[in-house]
Amino acid sequence: MYRYDEFDHAFVSARVDQFKDQVERRLAGELTEDQFRPLRLMNGVYLQLHAYMLRVAIPYGTLSSRQMRKLAHIARHYDRGYGHFTTRQNLQYNWPALKDMPKVLDELASVEMHALQTSGNCIRNVTADHFAGAAADEVADPRPYAEILRQWSSMHPEFSYLPRKFKIAVTGAERDRAAIQVHDIGLHLKKNATGEIGFAVYVGGGQGRTPMVAKKIRDFLPVEDLLSYTTAIMRVYNLNGRRDNKYKARIKILVHETGTEELTRQVEAEFRVLKETDLKLPQKDVDAIDSYFAPPSLPVRPEGWSELAAARKADHAFSAWVDQNVTPHKNPDYGVVTISLKPIGGIPGDATDAQMDLVADIAEKFSQDEIRVSHEQNLVLPHVAIADLRIVYDLLLTDGLATANAGLITDIIACPGLDYCALANARSIPVAQRISERFGKPERQSDIGELKIKISGCINACGHHHVGHIGILGVEKKGEELYQISLGGSGDEICTIGDITGRGFSSEEIVDAVETIVDRYLEIRTDKEETFLTTYRRVGAAPFKDALYSEAANAA
Amino acid sequence: MSDISEKPHGELWSREGFREDPYITAETLEEAGDAPAIILPLAVWLGLDEEVRNATNRKIGVSVAPGESIDPLLTLLDTIPVIALHFPAFNDGRSYSKAEMLKNQHQFKGELRAVGDVLIDQVAYMLRTGFDTLKVTHAVTLTRLADHNLHDTPVYYQPGRGSHTAPGTYSWRRVPAV
Ligand code: HEM
Ligand code: SF4
Repeated sequence: MYRYDEFDHAFVSARVDQFKDQVERRLAGELTEDQFRPLRLMNGVYLQLHAYMLRVAIPYGTLSSRQMRKLAHIARHYDRGYGHFTTRQNLQYNWPALKDMPKVLDELASVEMHALQTSGNCIRNVTADHFAGAAADEVADPRPYAEILRQWSSMHPEFSYLPRKFKIAVTGAERDRAAIQVHDIGLHLKKNATGEIGFAVYVGGGQGRTPMVAKKIRDFLPVEDLLSYTTAIMRVYNLNGRRDNKYKARIKILVHETGTEELTRQVEAEFRVLKETDLKLPQKDVDAIDSYFAPPSLPVRPEGWSELAAARKADHAFSAWVDQNVTPHKNPDYGVVTISLKPIGGIPGDATDAQMDLVADIAEKFSQDEIRVSHEQNLVLPHVAIADLRIVYDLLLTDGLATANAGLITDIIACPGLDYCALANARSIPVAQRISERFGKPERQSDIGELKIKISGCINACGHHHVGHIGILGVEKKGEELYQISLGGSGDEICTIGDITGRGFSSEEIVDAVETIVDRYLEIRTDKEETFLTTYRRVGAAPFKDALYSEAANAA
Repeated sequence: MSDISEKPHGELWSREGFREDPYITAETLEEAGDAPAIILPLAVWLGLDEEVRNATNRKIGVSVAPGESIDPLLTLLDTIPVIALHFPAFNDGRSYSKAEMLKNQHQFKGELRAVGDVLIDQVAYMLRTGFDTLKVTHAVTLTRLADHNLHDTPVYYQPGRGSHTAPGTYSWRRVPAV
């Protein structure tokens, strides 16, 4: 894992001091809320419906046990005993007091954490595949590059007042678990024909009110050009991105309005100028950072497989959890464990202080002291010996963390919605909870198979509804909360934006509507192997619209 | 912008502190009268005869709005005494890129100046992208700068040219491999 050197320490503590000063100036009235706003946003402090909120950066979603314990401690002492893991691989505290913020930031700094650049119109926390460095299908670990990008973008003098926020995601496998094509810049680490490592570069993806799939502007960018090319993109965007309308200010709009070809030409022209500057990354630089991410030396544990077979036979629930929540590791004696933060009927992404402490303890003993946060609002133990799966499961079970639903219909992403968010049209969390309860039976979920439901409380799409296999969007019509459904979205390597089915459904109707869709899918799939998304891609929207609207019409 | 008599004293800040601004800002050359140092809008400046622009008896600088391109200036940089880049609002960051391009890419040797919504929290960024001088009107910013409280970090992740000149390049190059 990356460890701060004295440089990072000096930087973060100076920023905490600065922010202390800014908070004091705000509390003293020296700064107006308007002037304070961009400053607090750069430090991750939001003003929401009920209170200020704090977003803590978890660079590329990687945490140590010590850091997780600190997050638990903060939840206990400065919040109401829980935190919310977000789709940005970050943690959000919903209730800290403004006057406590500097103290909280001090606490975070003591474990090499901060809340910098988790909001504001700057380059945000860089995200990466949550299985990085562990997954069997990985070509190269994306985290060293995400870390280099983090350092390069931290308080970047040229790019801290962009037209709008800017999000970069990196993945190191063909299977895209970081949703790179709905990011401002998506980087896909891959090998070329001669075995060298480089990036496919995607630009201009995003969600929000104008969802767009990113355009590939480079098929293979050598590693040494990573920063010069990224700088070229940022500069073209900073100079030309729209600033007249904040809804048109993201780079996706610039790409769309300029045209991919012309934008690529501009980027390449700027890149030629920057290529031979000190932005160039020689292998030596990459190696220096790489060494922080050296794979842990994992003891040989071949006994796990026979133990596992026996344990599975003896306990059906455990077996289902292994099927659903354990992913193949590079090392055959190990597995990657997904800890679901989606208990049936619970709040997606919430974890209590006790749960965080428990996960920290388990990670320390059984996962090389490492934890990941996934953009699907779950936690991950990246390096668990197959031989330890049973004991890890039993420990998770003690505090409701062993739900066997990763990737299933109840593994729902939901934004904070009207329960917390000032921009919301509708509630998201209670809808997620009701859907989860409706489909909560293990047999039913497992029969339905892989199905991603994503819910946003308004068009800003924090809940990723555009890329949900079933997306649900809260809209407001004549004072009523309505939910619009979209189908067939996907945030992985075959990235698509979902199609809206038609008129929205009331809060009472929405869960039935989802069930109608699921039932229709079960009727028309060729067999159990054909997932919802594959079926949708084969048959299109018509059968589902029929089911939704003719039934409704019949009932009316 | 065209009111040439409204300036308070000593509002031009550089690393050395405050001083009087020798330049006046005018919309046209006529409006500037016989002032010895003038800053004109880009379009007007580009429209001047070359002899007038390069006249040795006075200095004529150019101001550039965020939406205007610096491209037409690039071949003339040797002849420009001052370029004033505008920040009509503190969150309009286009002039940072132009500063970086002028100072780093094109080695502009003249004075690079920030004008407009210059707040204390932006000063460090401005210095780091290459601004030499800041024209400051915001009261709190004036006080802070007078106290030399620049609100800067002691180190930068990027090569620095900020309020301090800590030697160095990109952060990861300073990190000994472990
Ligand atoms: C409750 C406070 C929140 C507010 C006020 C808020 C506000 C916004 C706004 C205004 C946008 C649209 C930006 C744009 O299109 O330019 C947005 C997008 C987004 N937010 Fe939030 N958000 C909040 C919480 C969250 C949380 C908790 C998460 C993670 C679960 C999140 C993740 C995202 C994501 C992934 C996007 C889409 C980015 C894109 O368009 O590419 N937000 N948010
Ligand atoms: S999608 Fe809308 S309602 Fe949900 S958190 Fe984002 S801004 Fe708030």
